[in-house]
Parts: sequence; structure tokens; C-alpha cells
Amino acid sequence: MKKNLVMVCLLVLLTSLCFAQGNKEASSTNDEVLLRLWMGIPAENGPQDVVDAFNREYKDKGIQVEYERYVNNDQGNLKLETNLLAGSGIDVYASYGGLTRVAKRAESKMAMDLTPFLQRDNLIPEDIFGETAITLSRVDGVLYALPTTLTKTSFLINKDMFDEAGIEVPTSWTYDEFREIAKKLTKGEGLDKVYGMFWNSTQNFYEVQARLSSRTLGGDWMYAPGANETNLNDDVIVKTLELVNNTMNVDHSAPSHVDTVTQKLTMENMFLNGKVAIVADNFIIRSVKDLKQFPHDFVTAFVPQPVAAKGGDKYTWAQYGDQLSINPKSKNIDAAWEFLKWYATEGVEYMAIGGRIGLAKTLNKDAIMDRFFKGVDEIIDIESAKKYFIYNEGDNLTSTTIFKKAPEIQKVMNEECEAILTERKTAKEGLNDAKKRADEFLKK
Amino acid sequence: MKLSKQLKIDLSGYLFILPNIIGVLLFFIIPILFSLVISFTDWDFTMGIGNWNFVGFQNFIDIWQDQWFVSSLLNTLLLSFVSVFFIIVISIVFATIVDTYCYGSVAMRLAMFIPKISNIVAISIIWVMMYSPWGPVTQFLKLVGVQNPPKFLGDYTWALPAIIIMMIWSGIGYAVMIYSAALQGLPKEVYEAAEIDGAGAVTKFFHLTIHFLSPTTFFLVVTTLISMFQVFAPIQLMTQGGPGTSSSVLVYYIYTSAFSFYKMGYAAAMSWILFILLFGVTLFQWKNQKRWVNY
Repeated sequence: MKKNLVMVCLLVLLTSLCFAQGNKEASSTNDEVLLRLWMGIPAENGPQDVVDAFNREYKDKGIQVEYERYVNNDQGNLKLETNLLAGSGIDVYASYGGLTRVAKRAESKMAMDLTPFLQRDNLIPEDIFGETAITLSRVDGVLYALPTTLTKTSFLINKDMFDEAGIEVPTSWTYDEFREIAKKLTKGEGLDKVYGMFWNSTQNFYEVQARLSSRTLGGDWMYAPGANETNLNDDVIVKTLELVNNTMNVDHSAPSHVDTVTQKLTMENMFLNGKVAIVADNFIIRSVKDLKQFPHDFVTAFVPQPVAAKGGDKYTWAQYGDQLSINPKSKNIDAAWEFLKWYATEGVEYMAIGGRIGLAKTLNKDAIMDRFFKGVDEIIDIESAKKYFIYNEGDNLTSTTIFKKAPEIQKVMNEECEAILTERKTAKEGLNDAKKRADEFLKK
Repeated sequence: MKLSKQLKIDLSGYLFILPNIIGVLLFFIIPILFSLVISFTDWDFTMGIGNWNFVGFQNFIDIWQDQWFVSSLLNTLLLSFVSVFFIIVISIVFATIVDTYCYGSVAMRLAMFIPKISNIVAISIIWVMMYSPWGPVTQFLKLVGVQNPPKFLGDYTWALPAIIIMMIWSGIGYAVMIYSAALQGLPKEVYEAAEIDGAGAVTKFFHLTIHFLSPTTFFLVVTTLISMFQVFAPIQLMTQGGPGTSSSVLVYYIYTSAFSFYKMGYAAAMSWILFILLFGVTLFQWKNQKRWVNY
């Protein structure tokens, strides 16, 4: 009896092992190639249209694509990377937030070198995406991802509030001028208070001030030349932090950092509920266009960010973003390249619905514009959107190219900025400390 | 070959628990040994297994120079000991009161037990609202005349205490439940004898109840302390260790090192320090229980 039981146990174990193996085999013997695409955008903000268009066009060629959204935060990126490490669950994926993540993924062999594919198809990436975009997308001279969108940074303003206060929409302004305007736009008290400015200091304040400082210092504002030490106590950065601190704690024309943290204030809720006139970034354009979730009737306009001093507007921070890479472990690498090529030169047009502007020169700019303004031309100021968001001619665009110890330096910088904004340290003291601490990491 | 009868019985026994053993091996023993190995390396987990350099005890030495580690360690110790102390004191008093003087003691105990069965994520979000400048805690403080109530989660001095208060609140229910169960089993005749000798409620509490409950207290101190050392979710959800490092705890910093800085080896070394610490504290309590635990 006992002997039988033992045998049964063993049999069950063995058969279950066999089945586990068998299932794996079954899924890859399909005539049609099914690609898995991972991006950080909600499906309804563009990706679903992309996938539908591709699947229509490539039905006869035997390639289909399936979309999976990951949330572009620390946890979401961890999920993506674990999946890439584990095997072939993802064929094509997008990286966000500048080159930092692409560089990391290239180093960890999670992204393929795209040069051989480009050569095979006789494509010169500089011709398609522009010289700067490709230079800023290479990691140690190698192209591991194709930049597909261009995001130029700007502030967003509630144009109705500017008109009401009789303030002209600025095209170029200094910190001092900005501070005065923010003061004028602030009114009311308590829960009904409408602020001039919202800095969004919770999520990653480091980025907000990075973009302001890089207007004058360029994309690698963080490092001194040679990148053996940081540049964190530079005059421009000190002035930037002083400006933010003054609006929060002296003029009270912006919600304080503490209020932002304790009330979990977000750009969407502040701006789209009419609680603030200016916000520090334009990435919420997706929500501005989403009238179902955020009903509002005021006009949103794009304005350039202010600069520390007259003549300081040397650069505009831009992200050659939504970089698409191929997972080296993918079983359908050629099909993945087909998709990548199609997406970068055609498909990305559909992303304009969600406010993402395609980069390639082959794209139909009018089609992008139509999609971008469809149904929202009443609430988005078309002229400023074209000038500061969609077109990229005539700007001196800049982006980060050095990433040495970036996560550690960011943490240091976030902590010291927090100390400055809560008035435990002056801007000068805090940034001197930040430099001292960050330099330690660069020495290691 | 013929197996002896005893061996056969043993073997079939092992076969029955085999699934469990495999689980324990795969999900506990092997990862634990693996983390010990990588704590001596500079492993970045995105590089894949095997791509590491052995650095000896370097991680264990570097840790003590790391300001983030040191302040996280101090915060962890503060959070654990303070919250355990208050949980024990408050629960023992509550349990006694509920047990002796309250009508509907079952309902009371159940109400107190609710935080234990609620999702920590939900609890954390609710407490964020409670602590917000327009939330009930701040408004109450203003009502009773506090001019400048603390900013709690946005305040360097108050962020950690705010989390400690929440942890105490959520820990009490479970401890009260365990104490109440223990109170049911206390010998009635001893209390009667004490009453005849003229002992009042307070005397009985201090001289009898606390002593009788000491094994339960011992159990609760050990288990609660271990769980408090491992607090992670409330920190991640409520403050992300901030402002500055004022509410960063060890487990949260281990997570940051591993998954934001990709320093898996360094994070593993910290985990082992956390383990040694916990083991040491528990061992110390175990050795010293003879002095104050009466069975």
C-alpha cells in the first residue's frame, strides 16, 4: 500500500514536470509572429491606435503586435527590467526620462545594438532623426535605442488668468520678472487660494530645477567639465533654488514644499481645477487634452521657462524620448526591427492624441498637428503650442549626456533641495553641502 | 537490495513532505544562502548571475561610513523600540479594562482588531489624509488651541513620530486580542484571595495581572519587535523616507540601494546586518526572560 502511494506521488511529480515543459513548446509553434510591445503610456492615449494601425498594415505579412502598459515609475521600471532579465516575454519596449535608463539597459545587455539593422536597410539615422537627436541617443558611440519623440520643456499657463490680470503672456523672462508675475496672479486665502505658481516639488524636484538651470548651463548642468566633480553650487543653480524658495516661503505665491508633500498636491489637480496659473512642466498636456477626466474650459498656453539673468536663455531642455529598444532575448528579432522601424517613421504619429510629438523627419507634420488639436483647439493656444512644443526649428536644444553616479547625486540633490525649501538651510549652504556630498560619490 | 523497514518508513515520510521541502528550499534556504554570497560581491542584478567581483568584507565596512545607512538604522531602532513599548503598555491596560469593566467586550476587541486585518496600503493613505493640514488631526489640534500644529509628514522632527503613532494604533488590536485570551485563563482563586486581603483594582493589576501575563508579554515583545524592524510599506507610501532622511528605515534603504542604485551586494550586506541585529535582540530577550517571565 505504502509503496503504491510513493509511486503515485512520484508519477504526479514527473507528469507535472512533463506538462510544464510541453506548454512552453506549444506557444512558439505559431505561423504568425506575435510581438509584445511595452510602453509607459495608457493604451487609450495613443498606443492602441498604433497597435491597430500596425496590425491592419502587417496582417498579410504575418506580424502582429500586442500592447502592454507599464507604469513609468521606479516599480514599473523594475517590473520591466525583471521581465527583460528573465527572458523573451518582451520584444520591443520604450524607455523614458533621457538616456539614463537606456545607458543602464545597454550596459546590462537588455538592449540590442541597432547599427547592423540600420546598415542592412541602408538607413542613416542622422538623416531621419537629425544630428543632435542621434548624438544625444548614443551610449558610448553605439545606438541601442531609436528616439521617437521630441519633448521640449516649457511651463504651462492658464491663459484666462493672465488675461484677467492684464498680464501679457511672456516670451522671454528673468527670474525677477517671473517672481513679480507670480505674485500678481496669487489671490484668495485658505482653501480658495489661487496660486501664481506650482513647482510640483514632491515627485522629483530635482528635475524641475534641473530644467531651469539647464536653460543657462546646458544639459550637463550637474557636472563640472570633465565630470570628476559636480557643479551643484554654481551661481545659476543657487539663484534657481532661491527663486523657488522665495515664491514658496517669502511671497507665498506658490504652495510650500510642506503643503505639496502633506496634501499630495499634483500638477493635474492644481492646474486643471483652476487653483494655479503656472505649472513647472508640460508633461501633463495629456491630461489637459483629456476633457472627460478633467473637464475645464480655460485656455492653456505654452511659455518658455524663465532664466536666471538677462541673456541666460541659451538652451531649451529637450528630451529625445520614448526610446524604443529590442530585447536581445526576443525570439522574433527581425519582426521586432520591422515594427521599430515602422513605429519610429510612421506609427508614432498616432501618439499625438496623447500629446507626444513624433521626431522623425519622415513624419507628416500636418497629420500630427491634426491629431494633437483634434477636439481641443478651443482650450489649447495653438500658436504657443506650435512654437514652444511642436516645432523644433531655431532652438538650441540640449539634453543630458553624462550619467556618472546619477541616481546617488539625484538623491543627495533632492535631500538638500528639501532642506532649502523647508528653510533649514539657505540655498548657498544647501548647495555647498550637496556638492560636497555628491563629489564623494564621484571620487569612489 | 532490500531496504530496512525503518528506512522505508522514513523515506515515505520525506516523500510526503517533499513538496513543502522543495518550497522552503527554493524560496527560503537558497535565496538566503545566495544573499550571503552576494553580500561579499559588488553585484548589480541587471548584469545577470555570475557577473560580479568578490570584494571581501568591503560592503560591511563601507556601510558604516554611509550616512543614509546610519540614519536609517537609528530611525529603525527608534521606531521599533518606541512603538513596541507603547503597544505593550497600552494593550495590557486596554485588555484589562475591556475584560473587567466593559459591556460588549467582544465588540470592543473586534473594533480594535480591525487595523490588523485591514490592508496596510489603505491604512497608510487614510493616515496621510488624517495628517494633512486640512485633515482631522491638525484641525483638532487647532481646535484645542495649538497655534502652529506640526506639519507631521512634511516635518523633519515629526515625520517619524507620526509614523510611530500610526504603527502603535495599528498594532494595538492584535496585542489586545492576545492579552484578552490570556486574561481568560488567569486563576480566579488568586484574585479572590487578594480581594479578601484588601487589594484594590490597581494593586491587583500591578501585582497580579502583569506577572501572570508575562509569558504573553514576552511573546508579544519578540514578535512585534521583529515586525517593526521590517516596516516598509507605510514609509514607501507616506514619506519615501523624507523629509531628508528623517523617516527612512533600514528596509526602505535596502530597497533603494538594491532597486534604485542597483547595488545588490551592498543591499544584501545590509540585510545581513539587519538579520544579525534582529537575531541578537531576540537572543538577548530569550536569555533574559528568566529574570522577568513567570510561567
